[in-house]
Amino acid sequence: MVEARRERWPSLTSLAVLLPLVLALVSAPAAALAGALRPRLAAVAGTAFAALSALAVAWGWSMGGGTVDVPWAPSYDLRFTVTLDGLAVLYALLATGIGFAVLVYSSRYLPLHLEHQGRPESDGGSFYFFILLFMGSMVGLAMAQDLILLFVFWDLTAIASYYLIGFDRHEEDSRASALMALLVTGVTAVLLLIGALMFYAAHGTFSIPELVRLTEPGPLLTVAGGLIAVAGLAKSAQVPLHFWLPRAMAAPTPVSAYLHSAAMVAAGVFLIGRVYPLLQKSDFLLDALLVVGLASMAVGGVLALTRDVLKQLLAYSTISQYGYVVFMYGLGGKYGATGAAFYVLAHALSKSALFLTAGAVTEATGETRLSRIGGLRKPLPLLAAASGLAAAGLAALPLTIGFFKDELFFGAALERGAPFAVFAVLGAALTFAYVWRFWSGIFLGPTRDGARGVPAALVWPVVVLGALVLIGGVLTEPFAELAIAAGTVSLDAPATVEPAYHLDARPENLMALATFAIGTLLILSRPVWSGSARAASRFGESFGPEKAYDLTIRELNRLSDFVHRAEVRDLRSRVAAILLPAGILVGAGLLATPTTDVYRVGEVQLRDVPLLLALVSVAVASLTTTFTKRHVTLALVLSSVGFVLAVVYAFFGAPDVALVAVLVEVILTMVFIATLKLVPRKVLHRQANLPTERPWRKVFFATVAGAFAFAVVWGTLSQPAAEQSVADEHLRLTPEAHAKDSVTAILADFRGLDTLGEITVVALVVLAIATLLNRGRLR
Amino acid sequence: MNSSVTSVLTRAISKLLLLPTLVAAAAILVKGYSQPGDGFSAGVVAGLGVLLQYLAFGREEAEKLPVVRSAGVLAFVGLLLALLVAVVPLFLGDPLLTHYPPPEGEVLIFGTLEILTAVLFDVGVFLLVFGFSVVTTSILARTIADEEEYALEEPVGEGEEA
Repeated sequence: MVEARRERWPSLTSLAVLLPLVLALVSAPAAALAGALRPRLAAVAGTAFAALSALAVAWGWSMGGGTVDVPWAPSYDLRFTVTLDGLAVLYALLATGIGFAVLVYSSRYLPLHLEHQGRPESDGGSFYFFILLFMGSMVGLAMAQDLILLFVFWDLTAIASYYLIGFDRHEEDSRASALMALLVTGVTAVLLLIGALMFYAAHGTFSIPELVRLTEPGPLLTVAGGLIAVAGLAKSAQVPLHFWLPRAMAAPTPVSAYLHSAAMVAAGVFLIGRVYPLLQKSDFLLDALLVVGLASMAVGGVLALTRDVLKQLLAYSTISQYGYVVFMYGLGGKYGATGAAFYVLAHALSKSALFLTAGAVTEATGETRLSRIGGLRKPLPLLAAASGLAAAGLAALPLTIGFFKDELFFGAALERGAPFAVFAVLGAALTFAYVWRFWSGIFLGPTRDGARGVPAALVWPVVVLGALVLIGGVLTEPFAELAIAAGTVSLDAPATVEPAYHLDARPENLMALATFAIGTLLILSRPVWSGSARAASRFGESFGPEKAYDLTIRELNRLSDFVHRAEVRDLRSRVAAILLPAGILVGAGLLATPTTDVYRVGEVQLRDVPLLLALVSVAVASLTTTFTKRHVTLALVLSSVGFVLAVVYAFFGAPDVALVAVLVEVILTMVFIATLKLVPRKVLHRQANLPTERPWRKVFFATVAGAFAFAVVWGTLSQPAAEQSVADEHLRLTPEAHAKDSVTAILADFRGLDTLGEITVVALVVLAIATLLNRGRLR
Repeated sequence: MNSSVTSVLTRAISKLLLLPTLVAAAAILVKGYSQPGDGFSAGVVAGLGVLLQYLAFGREEAEKLPVVRSAGVLAFVGLLLALLVAVVPLFLGDPLLTHYPPPEGEVLIFGTLEILTAVLFDVGVFLLVFGFSVVTTSILARTIADEEEYALEEPVGEGEEA
């Protein structure tokens, strides 16, 4: 074990690290508590906590950040290591800051949303709880330095997203989308865990900085790093695992805004940024990132040009935008990682503002499609201006923060080579075209009637975010510093970028001009290519990965149905299917074993007579069951077998077993009779008088299974065990466990884990019984 | 419910038996480490005590007992308790499900009752098994009552599947 960086704490450093984390993590329960007191308080408390967390992150960063490292499960080498470094600050600020804007927006949006759907206001409580849980787990994720801790927060975000996407739970589409998001990101999360375990197996630590120090380029790094990267790419909705994101638009708009800019999808590229020091050691992984990023840029960009529903357009735009980020990580070089961090920051501001605009527009007009909206600049001038700024930022116009995101993007591409620069320009031109389509479609064109005004709380968050986009274009320094700090972590080396305006013919500027020209050309030539873009979209729908997902889910369901039916349809066949193979296998084993002189009949003494009598009555009772017709009698005869067996245990000096046998037999008999009471008496009577079906088949199965079992048990009992059994060991250890009764010591101590597993099954059975017998009746 | 001599006797006896049953269960539970018996048996014994109340007094009376109403919660509290006993050692740097005091340690003894975490684990098992049997009983009882009600409402009980 590596000696941990020991700090004296509580110190100011640990406070600077822990305060943001704790504030962000307690915000969800705090909002739930406030909501329990009064539904309206949930929004207030949530917003306040988001603001406090954002301030705490900023304060912690101004204190210089730091690391807190505590073991939490030393037996498994698990450590609770959180660091407030540049990368963590970037994503924590996004999660809390944009979280704050989204929560302010939601405080007005959500009541309207619930009202449209005829749901009570108290339904909003779970919304605030989960969106704040989302925020808290994002902050935790951003700060985690231990791969397992990171995995825990990673899965927490998936759980929160499941409930948020499926917030309109009465709609089937909503539930299916939530499940899809959970499955795609949850199944790939397992890859992250596997990758982490592979690294642990090789290097004995889960700590990312340690791993960066220890790993060498090689197959292990490629495979384990690749698995982790796949988890990140799936969460960032990169091709070919992008299909869940457009479906996730079923979520309420504030959730989409948050999911796309600061949480969930951002978490994916965050993970890549966090493990980038590992990934960049493998050229293969960098090239793979390049390919995936390019494909996502193309697919997302082209499809965004074909979509009519506002939120769908934005969803595909997100896919392509994170494609740029992944592309930049793949490019490597001195601009790559830092440029990617800057890009995430600039994109988050613009994209959240555009989503909130879409929500406000839908609220004002009741429409969700571009083709049915237009001319809204008249009724909503402030919104038009603010979202215009955000759109300009996404389209990378000068004087916005977005200009620099593209400057860095072009710089990184140029450094790698001319073909990459061409791809970069084409991608950026696509962005230019669809952003124009979005904004002009909403706000320009002929004015339409019927637009209501929207509450101020739906406009002001957009204004603030739009203003930030503009400020970032003029005062770029603080934003650049944040990106440099994040890039330094990702590169594991000092990073520098100097975003600034240069009024000369440097390649970046020329590329920007080319982008605007090609983008304008794309906009003007829309009639020429729109047919083929739609064809591409239809092709994707028919043969894309979403089809594969649907097919997998359907086939899994069918397999499950098949197994279920095979198991429950015919009780007799099921019993036979277990007894016959078991009997044959045991019999084959017996025939292969030499059995001469093995079987012994022990001496029968006078004191064995009660035991023998008990065994005879067990045999008689068992035989009786085969002739009994009435169900109640059958239940009683069966239980008498159990009771007599309990007596046998008592004779053999196993009081614990006897006690349990009696108790179980009582309960079983009761349940048996209670169940029989549920069947109408006439049905029972009719069933009891039916002739036995295929009796010889049953006799055959029973004889084969019974005869071989008897032969084997007899043979085994005839010979004393050759070596010391585990039972002696248990008996020896019993006093050491402070016990006098070894059965209890075995249950609670030696084999305690088995007991734990068994009682968990019992708890699940309670739930299953309740569900089955309540048949959907809610209390 | 008929009021024959048998049922009067049953009621009287079951009323008398409830408390002793629970005491017996508690004894089986805490003495499990020195004598036959453990959390499972104790849970079933206590559960049978409650079942007897159902048989004697009927569902509605029995469900007034506080243990019956909180049985589901008890079951999951039990599971949680057992899980805690298993997991807490992890945070102390020991393997999963390490019991305290360790083999060479001293055990606090009150009379014949020994205090150690293994007993706590067993208490978790007890609560779960007890909760399980009571929940099952009450759900079955309610289902039977519902079916009878249904049968009374619609005398033609057959031909359901058609």
